[in-house]
Amino acid sequence: MTTILIIEDDDIMLKAVRNILTKAGYNVLTAKDGKEAFDKMENCEYDIVITDLMMPYANGLEVVSRLRSDSTKRHVSIIVVSSVGNEETITEAFRLGADDYLKKPIMAGELLIRLRKLIENRSTSNLKLVTKKK
Amino acid sequence: MWSDLTNLLYQAYEQYSFLPLFIEIALFFIFIAIFATIFAYGVILFRRWKGYVHDKRMKFIRPKVEEMITEQVLINENLEQIPVEEIEFDQAAINDKIFKKPWVRQVVIDILIQYRKNFRGEVGELLRKLYIDMNLTKDSFEKMKSLKWERKIKAVVELTQMDVQISDVTILPLTNSTNPSLRAAARNAYIQLSKNEPFKFFDVATEPILPWDQLELFRIITTTKDIAIPNFSRWVSYSTNKSVVSFCLKLIAHYDQQTAIPAVMDLLNNKDHYFRANAINCLGKLGAEAAEDRLTKIYATQPIHCQLEILKALGRIASGNNLEFLKNEFLFSSNFDVRMAAARSIIKHNTPASRAMVEDLRATTYEENKLIISHCLNPLIKH
Repeated sequence: MTTILIIEDDDIMLKAVRNILTKAGYNVLTAKDGKEAFDKMENCEYDIVITDLMMPYANGLEVVSRLRSDSTKRHVSIIVVSSVGNEETITEAFRLGADDYLKKPIMAGELLIRLRKLIENRSTSNLKLVTKKK
Repeated sequence: MWSDLTNLLYQAYEQYSFLPLFIEIALFFIFIAIFATIFAYGVILFRRWKGYVHDKRMKFIRPKVEEMITEQVLINENLEQIPVEEIEFDQAAINDKIFKKPWVRQVVIDILIQYRKNFRGEVGELLRKLYIDMNLTKDSFEKMKSLKWERKIKAVVELTQMDVQISDVTILPLTNSTNPSLRAAARNAYIQLSKNEPFKFFDVATEPILPWDQLELFRIITTTKDIAIPNFSRWVSYSTNKSVVSFCLKLIAHYDQQTAIPAVMDLLNNKDHYFRANAINCLGKLGAEAAEDRLTKIYATQPIHCQLEILKALGRIASGNNLEFLKNEFLFSSNFDVRMAAARSIIKHNTPASRAMVEDLRATTYEENKLIISHCLNPLIKH
């Protein structure tokens, strides 16, 4: 089962996305801010990260940057979800290594499709999921 | 006991009148300070108690509301299986006794709005359906009747977020309220909710659209989907509200409404020089070549900020017909800002003729003007 780490400071959004992804059959981990995110990024195993941009302690771009600079986490796909939709931020997120970008308000269906696409791309490029199948 | 206390107070009062004046004044202020302190502590305690009760209630009710919304909307089995309007909610769950209490219904509305800010598409539509099916529209419309403007604003925001139509009879008077916050909220709502004539309130606006409100309105107008954009020249020609005209000029420039040029040019005769400056600015942004002659003709009779706008406009239009005019202003004006604006406008033309003119000026003019040209040519300095 694919494990997804959701990093989001808005409690409502965090719970909502967690519920949607759990219902869709994913294993979900959550972090409420940059600090908790870095902690979970170090100590947990996950395949995809969905991160907000503006959070306390560290922003989403820092999360992307840290993940991409860690050679052991190169396989992790990253989706940035944010209400900040200006071109500079989107370009910066992609430059740092994000795989996808969704602007809030999001469509649940679109998020699931994009996740599925990312997982498919991973399997076609022969990358193995880190989390063990249950 | 009460009679003893009354006697004591009576005696104190009798003695008070025999005390020296400064003692009387001191006692008076001591009493005031004691009462004020007791009152302040009372208010603080009351507010803390209210906050405590509110937190306790929220801790109890929020998980229940979130659970209900999650079950009915987010993980609804029918979502994406059948059209949203055909999805039926679990009536037992949404009609639970707990959701009948007014304060709980308000919590439901607040949480629904938070969800709506994060989700669009089918989830967003289903959240709206839940709001309507729980008859929460009634609560919002009740708030619209309140005498308190804060409650009215809350209602307007709720109905706008939930995309629920508000009749013109209700909302139009609010767009002209004397309360600036209510007025701004109602205008924002009107633009977002009115599908046919989102700018109808311009017709009745007698209260000003404040600069900050203009920014917010501009954001809403430019980001709301499927908004019917009218020709704003009709308000430029006929509105008596200065701020409406000024705002419409900005919108005309933003939407590049070339057909509005004659109406904007009519404003050049206006007695108010701020109007004229705004109109000149708008003509420049529209690249109105037809206005160039008029602008150069009126130039000499204008106040300085209108002159600067004319020079900027000539640079934006950049037809090349007025390069000599700009050169003369650059060389012979005694005002530094005018010379600066003229230099920028010449450079902005960016044609072989203008580039040759700049080179010629750099070679022949005196030191300060050379510095102005170098400054204006520096691509790192944004104008």
